[in-house]
Amino acid sequence: MSEKAEALVRFIQERCLWQFASRAHDREENIDGVLSLVGILLTGGSPKLQTPMDRLHFANANHLAAEVKGEFPWLSHLGKDELFHVVEAAIRRIHEIAVKNSKNGELRLQAY
Amino acid sequence: MPMKLLDCDTAIPERENHVYIKEAGEDTTQYLPISNAATIPGTLSERGCAFCGAKLVIGGVLKDTIQMIHGPFGCSYDTWHTKRYPSDNDNFQLKYAWSTNVKEKNVVFGAEKLLKQSMLEAFDAMPTIKRMFVYTTCSTALIGDDPKAVAKAVMAERPDVDIFVVECPGFAGVSQSKGHHVLNMGWIHEKVGQVEPKITSDYTINFIGDYNIQGDTDVLQRYWHKLGIQVLAHFTGNATYDECRGMHRAQLNVVNCARSAGYIANELHKKYGIPRLDIDSWGFSYMATGLRKVGDFFGIQDKVEDLIAEEEDKWKPKLDWYKERLKGKKMAIWTGGPRLWHWTRAVEDDLGVQVVAMASKFGHQEDFEKVIARGREGTVYIDDGNELEFFEVIEMVKPDVIFTGPRVGELVKKLHIPYVNGHAYHNGPYMGFEGFVNLARDMYNAVNSPLWALAGQNIQEGVL
Repeated sequence: MSEKAEALVRFIQERCLWQFASRAHDREENIDGVLSLVGILLTGGSPKLQTPMDRLHFANANHLAAEVKGEFPWLSHLGKDELFHVVEAAIRRIHEIAVKNSKNGELRLQAY
Repeated sequence: MPMKLLDCDTAIPERENHVYIKEAGEDTTQYLPISNAATIPGTLSERGCAFCGAKLVIGGVLKDTIQMIHGPFGCSYDTWHTKRYPSDNDNFQLKYAWSTNVKEKNVVFGAEKLLKQSMLEAFDAMPTIKRMFVYTTCSTALIGDDPKAVAKAVMAERPDVDIFVVECPGFAGVSQSKGHHVLNMGWIHEKVGQVEPKITSDYTINFIGDYNIQGDTDVLQRYWHKLGIQVLAHFTGNATYDECRGMHRAQLNVVNCARSAGYIANELHKKYGIPRLDIDSWGFSYMATGLRKVGDFFGIQDKVEDLIAEEEDKWKPKLDWYKERLKGKKMAIWTGGPRLWHWTRAVEDDLGVQVVAMASKFGHQEDFEKVIARGREGTVYIDDGNELEFFEVIEMVKPDVIFTGPRVGELVKKLHIPYVNGHAYHNGPYMGFEGFVNLARDMYNAVNSPLWALAGQNIQEGVL
């Protein structure tokens, strides 16, 4: 993983509660939902917000996109494809930390 | 560094799995303390019981509800008056303690008749109150009483009353966390959806996991009101029983304490499709972040920015005054669970304070994932800490101030270390912009108080 993606992951780990939902399926939904929108917002796109969950992910993504723009000025110098690669690498790594390799024994319980 | 076996724990080496010191480059896929597990025999735990988690933390906050504790009177007395959560109806919930006062003869012959009689007496003595929580305790659970059947009979006799039964005796779980869980799940399945709230705004939320400790809810409610957001239910700060039965109509669940009430937010999402937005309402910067997210959800960003600007104008100079004087101080947080992760970055970002040790009584591994991700390297993270561990960690990290509850607080005070009540606060509220200034003020006063050093002096020296 690139240094840029590493830096982004460290920042997200420190700042964002949505990656730490109680169960794996909620974490996966949040990680994909929020970070894919962050990618769209950082490249100047307009996300489609059709459902309450879309609006929830937008609420989390919009704030994060603004924060990382301030924290990492190099983001504004990346091309669209390069930026998507960085975000995708961050998504993969957050999945590894918060879901796939998590030591949290309650993540895969069926009931809340 | 792997998990840490403290010197005091050599006789109970299993404790190594509950103590962690974070080092550079480590993440929670490598090390994560075991938590929400049974206390190891031989360790002097500071935990509360499962019943306490249901009654003291969540149910007992409701401002219009009799809290009938079916058990010996101690279970009622010990969960009364130890947490200050006021209400706007003259603090009904803080004035009274209700108990069936179970004795040995009831244990032998059964206590259901006693329960029914107590419930009717309580309703008769308080004729304006029509709502009741009934809690089982260890003794009445062990003798096999059926409080749900009794509640059903009382509701049949008195159609104007409604009763919710929490079957969570003290032994039901490893800590008070089980009580949170049982109450949340019981409430969503038995009571939510029974009352249709009157909708007065285009923007509706439930604010979940805030218990109006020293007025937290009042602070937050002022913000929601200014934004034109209708809170259908505060779960459960300054709330009524029936407000919490109408939670199913909200457009958004805003969650502060994810540990004590995340369950109901998850179930409201699953059952009614209401999204869950987790925020930190402790912390100056965090509060602004939380409000901005709510603003983005409803599309009322301008209103939110106006509110934040107004609050920052009023409170930021005060916060900065304390920051200037607290910068570099070392803090320990030994509370229940979530305040570790709510506070560790907030005090660092907003006040320049470094959190050097944190202990959780009832946090789950989810809480440790959050706090280790947010916390500093070199900081000690402990699950279900015991007294000897606290002594050793104090020597190790030498904190300038410790935020903890009154129980561990007694130990801290005897060591003449500045102490602030991290559960019920010294002089709150601590939530919101003004709340974090209050927290900073209490920390400043604690750190600079001459009393701690004076208390350590032996005034008899040279006299006797």
